[in-house]
Amino acid sequence: MAQQGVATLGPRSDTLRNPDAGDQKSAAEGEKLFGSMNCDGCHGGGATGFAAPSLSDGRWRYGGTDGAIFQSIRDGRPKGMPAFGELLSPEIIWKLVTYLRSLPVPKTVPTQSW
Amino acid sequence: MQRTRRRGRTCTSPGKRVRLLVMRLLPALAALLALLQAAAAAQAVPDDGRWTMPGKDYASTRYSGLDQLTPLNVQRLKPVWNFSTGVLRGHEGQPLVVDNTMYVVTPYPNVLYAFDLTQPDYPLKWKYRPNVDPSALGMACCDAINRGAFYADGKIVYNLLDGHTVAVDAASGREIWNVKSAELSEGETTPMAPIVVRDRVIVGPSGGEFGIYGWAKGFDLATGRLVWTARNAGSDSATLTRPGVFKPFYDKGANLGLTTWANDAWKTGGAPVWGWLSYDAGLDLVYYGVGNPGPYNPEQRPGDNKWTNSVLARRPGDGALVWAYQFTPHDNWDYDSNAEMILADLTIGGGVRKVLVHFDKNGFAYTIDRTNGEVLVAEPFVSLNWAKRVDLTTGRPVLDSSKFTGDSKGNVKYICPSLEGGKSPVSAAAYSPRTRLFYVSTVNLCMDYHAEVKTRIRGTPFIGASTPYVAGPGGHMGAFIAWDAARGRKLWEIKEKYPVWSGVVVTAGDVAFYGTLDGWLKAVNARTGQPLWKFKVGSGIVGAPITYRGPDGRQYVAVYAGIGGDWSLLSGDLNADDPADMRDPADFIKDLARYTSQGGMVWIFAL
Repeated sequence: MAQQGVATLGPRSDTLRNPDAGDQKSAAEGEKLFGSMNCDGCHGGGATGFAAPSLSDGRWRYGGTDGAIFQSIRDGRPKGMPAFGELLSPEIIWKLVTYLRSLPVPKTVPTQSW
Repeated sequence: MQRTRRRGRTCTSPGKRVRLLVMRLLPALAALLALLQAAAAAQAVPDDGRWTMPGKDYASTRYSGLDQLTPLNVQRLKPVWNFSTGVLRGHEGQPLVVDNTMYVVTPYPNVLYAFDLTQPDYPLKWKYRPNVDPSALGMACCDAINRGAFYADGKIVYNLLDGHTVAVDAASGREIWNVKSAELSEGETTPMAPIVVRDRVIVGPSGGEFGIYGWAKGFDLATGRLVWTARNAGSDSATLTRPGVFKPFYDKGANLGLTTWANDAWKTGGAPVWGWLSYDAGLDLVYYGVGNPGPYNPEQRPGDNKWTNSVLARRPGDGALVWAYQFTPHDNWDYDSNAEMILADLTIGGGVRKVLVHFDKNGFAYTIDRTNGEVLVAEPFVSLNWAKRVDLTTGRPVLDSSKFTGDSKGNVKYICPSLEGGKSPVSAAAYSPRTRLFYVSTVNLCMDYHAEVKTRIRGTPFIGASTPYVAGPGGHMGAFIAWDAARGRKLWEIKEKYPVWSGVVVTAGDVAFYGTLDGWLKAVNARTGQPLWKFKVGSGIVGAPITYRGPDGRQYVAVYAGIGGDWSLLSGDLNADDPADMRDPADFIKDLARYTSQGGMVWIFAL
């Protein structure tokens, strides 16, 4: 990825397999990384959304599979998500993915009532 | 024609009648003359009816000499026109009106519209659509806002979000120059409105939440060429601090921008410039406020951290620093000082003093001698508890140690004001030389502050504090107030349910206008604070109303609707344009989305 130097030339998201899928230890490490890598600065504490979208609502702009989330972190996305592929190893990115996928999706009904 | 002549013939001895009329009206004419003289004393130059720069004038008074709107007739104010900007983000800032043309800059993607006010329906003369890097959306801390443009020498000069500054021909919309002014990859964005003084365009960056190394830069108005760069921290050479030129009132010593930081923390210490700039032509000084030090965890940056949270006075020509004053040394609470510096001449202690008046996020209103930086008055304009007072002999706040924050302090409870500020620097206040009062949108929020250690990663947020808010004393979250800056006291206030986040305009008709987060534009009597009129504009107001004289000679009021800025992050559920971003409302402001949502509109009102 880094050698290629072009973010979009990485493997397709549907061919990526999360080696840590469902692993609680990996998710806990991912939660710490979410703070230490400053993800929370944009996506908010608990990934509930701040300057950048919520990642805990079970809804995804660019796909919510493990592979699609991995790709978003590694390659970045057009409206401001930086590419972290040169900063974070695939192992670290999978921990972040595992953390985000571990967040309980709220039983949100799409109606807000006062 | 015929009818007119016939009427003329029926009116016998017109000369005599006029003389009689003049005799009867003499006392009224004398009174009018006295009023005009008073107005002339208050404002030497008659108002030209234009609005050419963000703060109306170089003193940033946001005072208009137009007087057709008064407390007696403003109830009849009606919308006469509106226009969707096509952009949903926070519409901060204000339109400009020059040569019967209204200029509107939108939030990202920073479209510039030029409306022809001489034509029915105000059709566009042109629109200018710059190519702005969308990755800037990920570097803007607090929504993709823009605070407006400056008109000078036939050019509209403004900043694009992605660290570019442009000059556009005001008549044709042709781009004259487009220069890179900031480094986006370092976390620098440029939503502020530049100031133009003679041939110098002065610009600064946002990025206090991204560990930038803050600065102001002076560009050449004709070409966009960079002339000087002045850092807001670091060595004397970097901050353009020269012996014999720099004469601060309180501080002593060389390299204060270095020696007041441990561990070289100034290199990523923030010190952004995202507010409003003022200029005193007699003193040839530009004044601007500097924002917070980064990160928010103060234990990572021991020392005063000069010149964060300060006002700097510089020569516009070469950027030389002439004096500086730090409002909040070693900031523990994200109390940026980017709010406007309003220049006025006030009678204090029996003499007239050239002052600047500044309503800081830290909750104190400062009246400062603008020739040298001496603090003359510093009093709380909102509830605050982080400091007891400001010591005028040292210029420093007297702190309450129970409100110190840092990663070793854990979660520090109930600090007032919150980091939204007692007033947001976004919402520029106004000053009327007629009433000698300042009109201020204020915020009544308090916060807990839980700091943690953060590592800077270039181009990512460098914050390190969790800061939930609650409403301050009284339970209302905002107020619109009138402030006497000579004495440091509040004259009256209008409490508002939500934080008041709009700029203000005050007029020679003694009417003040402000807007609310739930989308009302309001007019009040500037002398008494009596509410006079309101109109719901469709989305919360975070911009600043202006007033101008139209080509038909009538007085108009214009304002943006379009909630956003901090409120797009804080309130949780205002945004409706992304089905993949669902948030709960913020605990402290659960029902704001019941009354407003995003939407960018330009509104114009008249009698």
